[in-house]
Amino acid sequence: MKISKKVILLGHFGVGKTSLVKRFVVQKFSEEYHTTIGVKVDKKEVVIGEHLLTMILWDIEGGKSQQHLPPSYFAGAHGIIYVFDLTRPATWETIEEELTYFTERLPKAYKRIIGNKRDLIDEVQLREFQERFKGSYDFLSSAKTGENVEELFLALGLDMLS
Amino acid sequence: MNETEHHLQAQARFHKLQQLLLEDDRAVSDQIKEEVEGLRKQLVSPEEIQSRVSPFIEDKVKYLQDNFPELFGPVLSSTIRRQIEESQDEMVDALYPIIGKLIRKFVSKEIEHLTERIDQQINQTFSWQAWVRRLKGLFKGESEKDRIIRDLMKAKVEEVFIIDKDSGLLAGSWSRNALADGDMVAGMLTAIKSFVEHAFSKSEQELETIEYNAYKIVLNNFHTYYIAVVISGSVTSEFKLLLTDMLLHFADKYKIATKDPITEDLVDRNSKALKAHLQTIIDEDQ
Repeated sequence: MKISKKVILLGHFGVGKTSLVKRFVVQKFSEEYHTTIGVKVDKKEVVIGEHLLTMILWDIEGGKSQQHLPPSYFAGAHGIIYVFDLTRPATWETIEEELTYFTERLPKAYKRIIGNKRDLIDEVQLREFQERFKGSYDFLSSAKTGENVEELFLALGLDMLS
Repeated sequence: MNETEHHLQAQARFHKLQQLLLEDDRAVSDQIKEEVEGLRKQLVSPEEIQSRVSPFIEDKVKYLQDNFPELFGPVLSSTIRRQIEESQDEMVDALYPIIGKLIRKFVSKEIEHLTERIDQQINQTFSWQAWVRRLKGLFKGESEKDRIIRDLMKAKVEEVFIIDKDSGLLAGSWSRNALADGDMVAGMLTAIKSFVEHAFSKSEQELETIEYNAYKIVLNNFHTYYIAVVISGSVTSEFKLLLTDMLLHFADKYKIATKDPITEDLVDRNSKALKAHLQTIIDEDQ
């Protein structure tokens, strides 16, 4: 069965939301940084089990807090991907507060918390991070290398179809 | 033997010795002279140089021709890019007349086309249908000029999208030429609509029209969804009213649903209903 779902990507500026979408949709990565203004909508169809899932991805402009966004940007979303940058602590310090705000407004939406830019930290830093924040994130990914990108979107897709 | 004779004998012996010793050197020297002379002739004669150097030059030219993009591509690209960046005004000055000519050609062609069509209209002016039309126009308060212009640029429905207001997901569509990806259009229209309504609206107002190029997108808002109609040509208030009435009737008759989950069945059902209901307006302007 073919079914459509809306997924929003949230997180600070420059954490790699647009790059994750680009990697997932067209399997490409660019080192150039372009700030997203407003929102950019993309689409990816994936087969999960017997379903053809059309994921409409709303790549929303980043910010320290996104609670000022037009409500329609996140209204009706079935999935939330919250992205932080593994190399910038400031981008994960407000996750709880931000997610509480969006969970209250989207109680039925499934969530995934992603630590991006895995390629920029070494194994020692990775182990430190994993020990310190065990259980508080879902995936550590890299839009640059493609590590865990497909996996995180598919995991969310599976949740949304359940 | 006197002293003079002795001296002459010594000189003769010296000459003999000199001849014996320098004979080989002289032969070598003569050979070198001959070779130098030969080389001098070759260097001075253009024909000689050409016949000897040409094969090398030809090989080099062929190599450069075959490998031009690899050898000079990057340098040329960066030079051209720099040149363009540094000479934007000159570029505009150079292109302006060409663009101007193109626009002038396009406009004059369009005017020619319009003139032909107006001529056709005028030729029909004295037919009995024209008199009936004119009488109708008189009652409706519409001038002949307005009618002719309206007929020439008749509104044409190109695409229709039923979009869930909250999620921006496509819940049904009809398209004359399937120009765009409906899912993407639905998402982006909802994003634009959200942005405008959030940024500029203090009260409960909603975005109703978006114009771009020769198209107008009319947004008809309902409670849980909205219908976006892409129209080309001149959208008169009369046409807009007719469209609104038709869509209100459509919404009422088919009890359109856009709520979760938005499945293929739901999209198909809505799309079929849309096509059936808009058939008159679609057929009319085909």
